[in-house]
This record gives sequence, C-alpha cells and structure tokens, in this order.
Amino acid sequence: MKTLTKLFLADLKMLTRNRQALFWSLMFPLMFTIVFGFFFGRENASVGTVALVNQSSSDLAINLEKAMEGTNLFKIKKENNTNSVENEIKKSTIFAAVVIPKNFGSNLPDAPTKIKVIDDPGNAQSNQAVFAFLNQYLTGVNFQVQNAKPIFGLEEDSINKNSLNYFDFVLAGLIGLALMNSSVIGIAVSMNKYREDKILKRITTTPLPTWQFILAEVFSRLIVNVVQVSLILLVGIYFFKGHIYGDLWLIYLIVILGALLFQLIGFLVASVTKTTQAAESMATAITIPMMFLAGVFFPIDSLPKWLFSIVQYLPLAPLLRILRGVALENISPLDNPLNISIVIGWIIITLTISIWRFRLSEE
Amino acid sequence: MEKVIEVKNLVKKYGSLLAVNKISFSVFKGETFGLLGENGAGKTTTLEIIESLRKPTEGEVKVLKHDIVHHPKTIKNKVGVQLQASAYYEYLTLKEILELFGSFYPTSLDPIELLEMVGLKEKENSFIRQLSGGQKQRFSIVASLINDPEIVFLDEPTTGLDPLARRNLWEIIAQIKNQGKTVILTTHYMEEAEILCDRIAIMDRGRIIAQDTTEKLIEKAQNPFRIDFTATNLDNKQLLELEKIGQLEIGIGKQKNSYSLNIKTQLGVNKTLAIIHELNLQKVIVEKAKLEDIFIELTGKRIEDEEGENKK
Repeated sequence: MKTLTKLFLADLKMLTRNRQALFWSLMFPLMFTIVFGFFFGRENASVGTVALVNQSSSDLAINLEKAMEGTNLFKIKKENNTNSVENEIKKSTIFAAVVIPKNFGSNLPDAPTKIKVIDDPGNAQSNQAVFAFLNQYLTGVNFQVQNAKPIFGLEEDSINKNSLNYFDFVLAGLIGLALMNSSVIGIAVSMNKYREDKILKRITTTPLPTWQFILAEVFSRLIVNVVQVSLILLVGIYFFKGHIYGDLWLIYLIVILGALLFQLIGFLVASVTKTTQAAESMATAITIPMMFLAGVFFPIDSLPKWLFSIVQYLPLAPLLRILRGVALENISPLDNPLNISIVIGWIIITLTISIWRFRLSEE
Repeated sequence: MEKVIEVKNLVKKYGSLLAVNKISFSVFKGETFGLLGENGAGKTTTLEIIESLRKPTEGEVKVLKHDIVHHPKTIKNKVGVQLQASAYYEYLTLKEILELFGSFYPTSLDPIELLEMVGLKEKENSFIRQLSGGQKQRFSIVASLINDPEIVFLDEPTTGLDPLARRNLWEIIAQIKNQGKTVILTTHYMEEAEILCDRIAIMDRGRIIAQDTTEKLIEKAQNPFRIDFTATNLDNKQLLELEKIGQLEIGIGKQKNSYSLNIKTQLGVNKTLAIIHELNLQKVIVEKAKLEDIFIELTGKRIEDEEGENKK
C-alpha cells in the first residue's frame, strides 16, 4: 500500500508538472464548452438579428414591434428606412429585414395590409423562424379583427418538464468527449513514451508488480478527469446557464466509470502500437469518428437506421445516453439496463485484451 | 569461491533467430565480470535473461542460488540493473526518482548519500534533462544501487561518453566493486574491460568463444608480446629480419616511421631488441599484448565504436 501511494503521488506530481499537456487536456473540452456556450447557451435560442423598418405608427404596428422585441427567437435592429438593409443582409450583419409599410394597420381606406420581408434564401432556417413568428402573430390579429375564436390548436406536452435547450444536450456530450480524448490519447501516448524511454523496462527490473504500476497511473489520471469535468460543469452552468437536473454525485460516478473505460481503450491502443507516433494516430482515429458517431454534438437517432443500429454500441454512445439521462432528466442509469450493460461489456472486453496483450516489456 | 550466477546451456530464440546459443559460465562473488562482443553478439539478451526480464528458451540460470524462472521477485530484490540507454521519468527530480524506486524494494539506501557518492548531490532537485551525458550515466548507475544489491548489472555503462566522463565512471564502478558487490558489465571498449574486469567472456554470434581471467586470456594470445618503435633509418635487410620474427605493422601517413611488431616468444623479443638497438630510435615500447589483439585474433574482427548503431 505504501508503494502504491508513493507511486500514485509521483504520477500525480508528474501529470501536474507536465504543464503544457495538462493545460491542453483541460483547455480542449473547455474551448468547446465556451464556443457552444456563446452560440447556444445563456437561454439564448436566437437565430440571429433581423432589421425592423417600422414606417407605421398604428396600434397594430406598435404592438407588433413590441412583440418582435419581446421574442427571443431573434434579435431586433431598428432601422429608419430600407436603403441600407439589403447591403447589411449581403454582409450578413443581419439575416432579414421586416418592413412595416406606412399606415399599416391604420383605419385609412387604402391602408396597406401586407408586411414585407426582405431575406436571403441562404438562411432558410432563420427565415423560417421569422415567417413563422409573423404568420402566427398576424393570424391572431386576423381572428381578433373578425371577432372569431380559434377552434383547433396545438397543445404542447413535452416528455421533459424541465426547461432544456441544445446547449444542455451538448454540455453532457462534451463531458463524454473530454473523458474520451484525455484518457484514450493520454494513456496510449504516455505508455508508448515510457516504453520508448525504456522506463517500463526499467520498472520491470524492480520487484514492483505490474498491476500496482498501472493502478497508480489510472488513479492519478482519474483525478485529472474529475478536475476536467468540474471545470466544464462550472463554466457551462455558471457562465452559460446550462442545466443539470440529476444528482452530481451520480454524474461523477458515471464520469469515473467512463474514464476507466476510455483508459482501458488507451491501454489497448498502447499494447498494439509500437511507437508514440503510431499510438497518437491510432488514438485519434478512434476518438474523432466516435466523437461524431456516438452523439456528442447531435442525437444519433437521426442517422440512417442501419448506421444507428451499429453506432449505438460504440463505447461513448451508451455512456452519453446514461449521462444525459441522469444530467438532463434525472433518470436512473439502471432504468435502461441495455446502456449500462454495453458499457460494462466494453470494460470487460478491453480489460481482458489489455491483460492479455499489454506488457511493460517484451520477453 | 562462491558462485553468485550460474548459467548452464542457455539458449534464447526469437522465432528462427538464435540470439543465444548454448552458453555456460559462472560469476563469482565480489568479482567484476565482463561480457564482450560486438552488437548483436547476444550480450544484452544474456544479461536480460539473468536479470529475469526475458525468459530463456532452454537451459538453466541461477542467481544467488535462485532459479530465474521460478523466483524472479526474490532475485529482483537482490540485484541492481542499469539498462542500456535507459531514461528516467522526465518530470521527477533525481531525489524523487531515487525515493520512488527505493519504495519498490523492502529496503533501500538513502538517496542523498547515493547522489553524493557519484558527485550529484547539488543536482538532487534537478530533472534528468538538465544533466550532461556523463551525469545522466552516473545517475543511471547509482539508481541501480538504490536497493543495496548484491549483484549489479551494467549494460554498456560508458558508451557514448567522452574520455574524461568515461574515466570518472570507471572510478565509480571500481568503488562499487570495493563495496564487495559483484559487478557484471558489457562493453565495447577493450581498454575498459582490461582495466575493470577480473574475468571476461567473449561472445560472438550467440556463443561464448573464450572465457578466462583477463590476464590469462592475454597470455593465451598467439603473439603475447608487442614492441612499438619509431626509427628513421631502418633498411630493407632489417625489415625482412623483423618480419621473420613476428607480425610487423608499419604506420601510415604522419606515422610512416613508426612500426609495431607482435611477437610470439620471449626469444623473439630479445632478437628484435638486438636488431633495433642499432637504429636511430626515437621511441621504443615493449609491452604485453592487449585485450583488443586477442579479440581480433578470436573473432577475426575489430570492435569499432558502434555507438551510432546503438542509439536507436
């Protein structure tokens, strides 16, 4: 135990002294968090900025203007005339312009009844948001004018009562991404570096059992993983108003389980590669496709069915399902035993192969 | 004398490659034993099998009376190993590395005292990358002493060092021997083996082709004597006579006036001296053959400095 503690502390010391590696392993997922936070965080689902040229002073026009200011679908930039808006659309400082013509909504007999939208067909999604908003607003007004009450309508009944947005979805994904990257690449590269420097061989000249060497390495890296995830959560929740509804302790437990799985994949890579460079390439070849195929940034059920039926078993995929279940909906990891079974299955497979193939030095 | 290492009919195969081909030798307590040979002769493989890092294909190896296959841990507790061109942890200081490695053993020596022994005490808080080549090698040797081992294995301890650093290491190795420890070393340098080793085994292509005490090996040489001299007025008749006595080498380039004669018998030495004492001599050295001469005789090749090849 004394040896193990000493080795663990030494490993931890080395991890923190390798400042550059530590910095990047912490910064890499944090950068993603910050980028996604600025785009989608802060309760901000805005699709961009719309110019509003309101030339009417009627109640209807003023109310519409207020409604547009009130929505968080898009931001409003008020303009006095239409001269400059087309240029601005071309420069992409705004994506569309809504023009309320003079006398719109007034009681004058020849008052215009149409609102004009100037847009760029390149921004179909954003345009749709503006059209939908205006249509809905004008439909309401039409009913009011005709003194009619709508009979048919929609009632939204979301499965998840918690207020969630895309950023929350990505935040959980980024935790998985951080664990995967730092563990797979970290272990694969450092073990190969140790092998190239003959440190592993030097260790085998001592009576130290291999499992103690590995355990100390794994534990010290788990500490880094916990720090890493804490930073992501801190920045995500406090700066970008991300939501976590599940139990934090449970989240950390899943984090440790995931980190263990990815470290084992790292050992697997280390045991089949012979140089640091090869390990780096192989680790990247495993992590980059998994980042997209296992659902870090978008739900994988939108993939073609045949592809989904394969990628849902990738190690990161069930882990993210469990993590999102707990973090976003407070669902127990045991609720869907398939997910946890896949994770444990991968742990058993990678552990077996690592024990079989990973050697500190060749015989 | 007590045998601390016994190697019997050791064979090591890598696939179809026969790296070690049925070798046997023993090492006695307290001696310094040298394994000599070119790259690929099987020295390092032999050493690593004895250190129980590799498994033998055939044969029996006992270290301190323990079988290496069955009791590797007992053996590892009692030996110290310096690997060929091994690095240590990049982000630990010298003192921390020694403390860490010390914790792997049931008993260990004081890191500071060890660093002091090799003149690295001021560097206790330095990292490996801040050391010179000689300092690194000194550290590597002293790290193998952390468990106060009975046997110390040094695999090419001075390869790649400048002459001064090499001499410095020789002193350290002699010091280790003086502490009563058994030292086994491999080397490229014949001079080094001659100075340090009590007994020597010469390996060639997986076999041991000669083993004995250093002095006896040299005596066994075909031409155990050697006379070097420099003279400007040697004539052809004298040259022919000298060639009859032994193997004559004539210097080239700037050394074209220097000669060296390898001689078989004491009589030959006397004859040679009788011939050359008439000459206008600038230098005469009469000496015994060197280990290098024996090595060339036995293997038919000269061990050149193969460091370039070694640094993989």
